[in-house]
Amino acid sequence: MPLSKYISIAQISWQNGFVYRLNFVMWRVRMVIQTLTLYFLWAAVTSNTNQIYSYSQKQLLTYILLSSFVVAIVFSSRSIDAQGEIASGNLNNHLIKPFNYFFYWLARDFSDKTLNIFFSIIEIAAIIFLLKPPFLLQTHPLLLAQFTLSVVLAAALYFVFSFIISMTTFWYYQHNGWAQRFLIFTLVNTLGGGLFPLDMLPPLFARITLALPTAYFLFFPMQLYLGRLSLQEILIGYSMQLFWIGVCLALARFLWHQGLKVYGAYGR
Amino acid sequence: MTAISVAQLTKHFKVHQKEPGLVGSIKSLFSRKYHTVKAVNDISFQIQEGELIGFIGPNGAGKTTTLKCLSGLLYPTSGQVKVLGFTPWDRKPEFQKQFSLVMGQKNQLWWDLPAIETFILNREIYEVPPKQYKNTLDKLVQLLDVKSILNVQVRKLSLGQRMKCELIAALLHNPKVLFLDEPTIGLDVVMQKTMRDFIKDYNREFNSTIILTSHYMDDVKELCKRVIIIDQGRILFDGKLQDVINKYARNKIVELVLSKPVAETKLRQFGDLREYEFPRARINVPRKQAADKASKLLKKFPVADLNILEPPIEAIIREVFTGKLKRK
Repeated sequence: MPLSKYISIAQISWQNGFVYRLNFVMWRVRMVIQTLTLYFLWAAVTSNTNQIYSYSQKQLLTYILLSSFVVAIVFSSRSIDAQGEIASGNLNNHLIKPFNYFFYWLARDFSDKTLNIFFSIIEIAAIIFLLKPPFLLQTHPLLLAQFTLSVVLAAALYFVFSFIISMTTFWYYQHNGWAQRFLIFTLVNTLGGGLFPLDMLPPLFARITLALPTAYFLFFPMQLYLGRLSLQEILIGYSMQLFWIGVCLALARFLWHQGLKVYGAYGR
Repeated sequence: MTAISVAQLTKHFKVHQKEPGLVGSIKSLFSRKYHTVKAVNDISFQIQEGELIGFIGPNGAGKTTTLKCLSGLLYPTSGQVKVLGFTPWDRKPEFQKQFSLVMGQKNQLWWDLPAIETFILNREIYEVPPKQYKNTLDKLVQLLDVKSILNVQVRKLSLGQRMKCELIAALLHNPKVLFLDEPTIGLDVVMQKTMRDFIKDYNREFNSTIILTSHYMDDVKELCKRVIIIDQGRILFDGKLQDVINKYARNKIVELVLSKPVAETKLRQFGDLREYEFPRARINVPRKQAADKASKLLKKFPVADLNILEPPIEAIIREVFTGKLKRK
């Protein structure tokens, strides 16, 4: 598999991203508003107390701010567009070419993520500079390495997960699929710990959410960063990430091959 | 050498039928009726390397579906297809590097970027060596005269300019087999001619095997020696274009130039009088009687000039499709 093909795809995708500067800016503004809303909410809740559930104010506000950065890495994805291509028949253009469609989107996602990460760093730096929140800057190299690894695995898991959602278009036709995308994104963000840490839930619910793949998009990496996990919990967390990546990959592969059999190649 | 062989290819689609109106929409939420469309129904043909074939038929005849099966976009319901020795729907990269599909109404060019960016991307995807890429691109750019628009955003190009760039994008890897689906659709007459000349040259120069579908008979007449006529998923005719006439034309046209006026009713006795405006008259006569009728006309009337003509191919094919004609 020559890598240069996919590098070219990432490059052209990047160029294409720059054409829609305004769209991109609007997307980022939305992310900033969301982060600030959560930040002020939790800052208000913790203003009179130093401890809420098992979190100090500093830990919680760090959780909120830094998870918006993790969101930029894990959840920024162009592979949503795959479902539009399946629905419109534009998939035809890709199917006749000698490249792998899965890696095609991986390359495009990669370019999208680099853009989002870049802007996210600037935004968070600005927020920290302007609001001067109590922020826990993790300096422990082992924890940082563990955090980085978990974010990479989370991004891989979300990519395959998102690909599976797009594959459903083979059977359930949708013009662009925004309705179900919003529903799924809201679920993923909530169950992933984007609004609050999942261990704030009543124990039973917390246990259920930890068994779902969603917990490993945001919550698990953030727990690593904050250094809140025992060695055993860390190993279980990584195992869950790998387990879900394996399951989702197998499912994605299956759906892709079955989907192509029912694909009508319409659009003409 | 056989480039393409198709044996008993069949492709059926299950289509959901919705009753009209809102009530129909609500009903369809709960129960759906499906019916089977036989888009391609047991067709077989073989194409030799270097042939340029016209694939003609009315809308919905199964032309595009066949091309999609040959490109590996669709799995057939049954039947066998080999293109350059490959089964298309295995989608092997070695196969994909050797063919191209151009659809007049679908574009592969990146809409918001200049066409040259798509070309560069395709160079990488098809792993075209840089030197070959440069040579091919230069040649295509010159043949199609698009040098000045390569750096313009695709969405700002006219339809004709875009189609030229689409063709270039599809040909950069020098495909041995080329499927052209309505490449001239929506183009003006001048541009149609440019495209046609280009396709002809390309076929000759690279000895590539080409299947062309088109609604414009001019495309087919000018480019293709052999045509396959398809309707309702079945092949009606496969052979030389000229043989379509021999096979299906019932009539010939006798064209007269009279030196003195003759009563219309008298001319009508000889056949189907299609046009009469002194001094010219056109009469459709049964094929076999054409010579006989012509000599009688010469004897009976003051004729200055007389021609026996074949009916235009468009008219014959139109009649084939409207079902007026049965195979002889």
